[in-house]
Amino acid sequence: MFRHSSKPQWATNASGQLACWMLFGIVCGLSGCGQGPQAEFQYRDSTLKLIPDAQKAMKKTLKEGFGTPHDLVAWERFPIAYGGAKGSVSAPAEGTTSEAKTVTAAFEGDATKVVKGSPLLWLTGARAGEKSAADTVAEYDAKTNQLKWSGSADPVPAPGDKFVVGFGQALQQGRAVYMKNCMHCHGVSGDGAGPTAEYLSPRPRDYRLGVFKFTSTLAAEKVSRDDLHRVVKYGIPGTYMPSFLLLGEAETKSVVEYVRWLSVRGEFEKRTDDDLADYSQDSIEDTVKKALANFEAAKKAGDKPEKPVSLAQARKDASQQFDEYQNGKILEDKTRELPSEMETAVEDTATFLADVWTRADDAANVIVPTVPRVADDAASRERGRLLYMSDKTKCYTCHGMIGKGDGAATEDFWKKPGSEELYPRRGLHDAWGNILQPRNLTLGQYRGGRRPVDVFRRIYAGIKGTPMPGFGKTALKDEEIWDIVNYAMSIQYQSSQPPKANAGGHVAVKETSAAK
Amino acid sequence: MSETGDGWGWFSVKANAVGKFWSLFFVLTAVIIVIVSWFSPDWGWWFPGDGRAHSTVGKRIDDLFYMIMVIVAVTFIATQAVLGYVLWRGATIRPEEKALFSHGSHSLEVIWTIVPSGILLFIALYQMDVWAQFRIKGAIKDAHGEFVKPEPIAEVTARQFEWRIRYPAKGKPLNPKPQPDDIYTVNELHTPSGRPVEITLRTDDVQHAFFVPELRIKQDAVASLKIPVWFDALENREYEMLCAELCGWGHYKMKAKLVAQPDEEFDAWKERVSAEQFDDGFRKPAEEK
Repeated sequence: MFRHSSKPQWATNASGQLACWMLFGIVCGLSGCGQGPQAEFQYRDSTLKLIPDAQKAMKKTLKEGFGTPHDLVAWERFPIAYGGAKGSVSAPAEGTTSEAKTVTAAFEGDATKVVKGSPLLWLTGARAGEKSAADTVAEYDAKTNQLKWSGSADPVPAPGDKFVVGFGQALQQGRAVYMKNCMHCHGVSGDGAGPTAEYLSPRPRDYRLGVFKFTSTLAAEKVSRDDLHRVVKYGIPGTYMPSFLLLGEAETKSVVEYVRWLSVRGEFEKRTDDDLADYSQDSIEDTVKKALANFEAAKKAGDKPEKPVSLAQARKDASQQFDEYQNGKILEDKTRELPSEMETAVEDTATFLADVWTRADDAANVIVPTVPRVADDAASRERGRLLYMSDKTKCYTCHGMIGKGDGAATEDFWKKPGSEELYPRRGLHDAWGNILQPRNLTLGQYRGGRRPVDVFRRIYAGIKGTPMPGFGKTALKDEEIWDIVNYAMSIQYQSSQPPKANAGGHVAVKETSAAK
Repeated sequence: MSETGDGWGWFSVKANAVGKFWSLFFVLTAVIIVIVSWFSPDWGWWFPGDGRAHSTVGKRIDDLFYMIMVIVAVTFIATQAVLGYVLWRGATIRPEEKALFSHGSHSLEVIWTIVPSGILLFIALYQMDVWAQFRIKGAIKDAHGEFVKPEPIAEVTARQFEWRIRYPAKGKPLNPKPQPDDIYTVNELHTPSGRPVEITLRTDDVQHAFFVPELRIKQDAVASLKIPVWFDALENREYEMLCAELCGWGHYKMKAKLVAQPDEEFDAWKERVSAEQFDDGFRKPAEEK
């Protein structure tokens, strides 16, 4: 007879147990125990520090305007190429009733993506703005241009009505590319705090200030699409931003749009938070503290001041004020005055952002040298070197006497922007609060591109978000900028020995007198 | 344990079937492996691309591979056949038969030491020429079998996580030090086709490996070393260029392309990139219109 046991044989010895665990592991692996949490947009600290009501309103505004990573909302007023095939009604189909729900459509450009089920959004005409009429394409015949929609039959679109099929498709594609290639450094919200970000120096860009360093645009302007496109394509040498040259053109374009969209979202949040600064916990605590200090001081001075409100009361007051801010002032007849202050503020911010991001792609805002590059000869380089060492540009204070990026400014303590407080560490800082080394020009690494025009633009408009100032139009003529470009680009090929003592001293004195 | 006897009786009956099962199992496994291997090129389970090597040395490497493959296949089929036979014999052995005890046979030991050694020694000697052609500068031959001196075309620097490439200006030799008129690209290595070229491989940070699967060229990039790599791309087309050394979390991003083109196209490309790279952005007003 075969031996029986209450336990299966294979589970009683060590190898059997091992097999058990392995089986468990395989089952676990196949069933997807390791699936991560859903991606979410993170909020700024300044949003999370608002009083609860304000925070709620802020989050609601963001969600309505931009959605979530899974459910994007394309806010039409921003100049983002959300994608989709645009077209207009050329004629209602002949001999059919309105019940046929068919028109003759004329598409601008590519209509290959018009397939059954694509969302159909009416931009103008009777059907536009009807949220209930969420139309989709029921049928499209590319030969006869007959477009049939599924949705309500009325109202009937008139010839000339504009519509877009598959609105938001480019943004969705951008999100897919971004999530696959960019998110792990730049973060889901574009806050430069993805899972791998902490291992990187320099840190990945936080888009939420709407500031990008390497641009071809004037100092006051945003980054252009072309600039972002270049960065995605060729990377930024000397940083962890790699080249994505092999990404297809459509993917690159869509991810650029998505980055612009994240930047708009981030800056919208920041600016709206700034508008709501009165309703942040910090500011309320600060006000109460100051009032209390004044009260104590007045009491000491012998006055009989009024007792300031408590923190709890101040919060309650703020909450009440916020209600008016958000929903409008209560008028005498108990109705609200509309639009409310918050609605106006949101509207202003949106208008502002739409405007600056439109301007970014205006060719008039791209820096174009008015003169060709000055011949790159010894004389030009010497002129450039004198300018570099002059008090007009003060290049040397940061970039160092021989361009090693070790100027005296890197040893100073610097003030935080907009306050008297000093950064805790020595050295220059960028707009994101990171320590920033001035570029070491002896390495021949050009983060913003190595074309002479790239270096020209760095000097002309400065580097946004950094202490590198722009000299174009004001301090330097274009010819002088070219001299500096010629000098800066030649440093790499020069000997690393510092200039002889007498030469260095001599030049500095001569230039100072010449500049004055 | 009076029942033990019965138990073993049952076992010996079963043992017969189990033994036959294992005999068939190993033979069938071998048959399946041979069939799958035979058809795998048709299913795309073989070498990357069209399955052929696209460089002179790559072809010879493939020849070596197939030679070893044949030796291994013959050995595999033979040993599996013997294994199957021995298992079958053991399973069907009659109770009165005695097993042959061969352990400690001196002649057998000598045979299976000398035969594999001989095969290995043969492979070791036979491949030396291919190795030399791959690794020794003086031994590099072109597609016609002539000895040639490969032309240095570029310095390829691997870094986390991309390939940065420096070429000399058109008509100039590659200088080990960067020159003002050098041309730079990223993730795109251009090379003249049809003749052996040399790249200097370096790394900016950790260890990487330069790998062009369809050329059968693979070379580690080691910190602080400048390693010459020689190859010729026989066809005018794009090849996939990868990092073959796990170099960090972004290893998978290090995908680039190798573009092999005729000399005149290579020069034209250099001119174009150079013009782009030295663009001063100035446009005459007339040009803009």
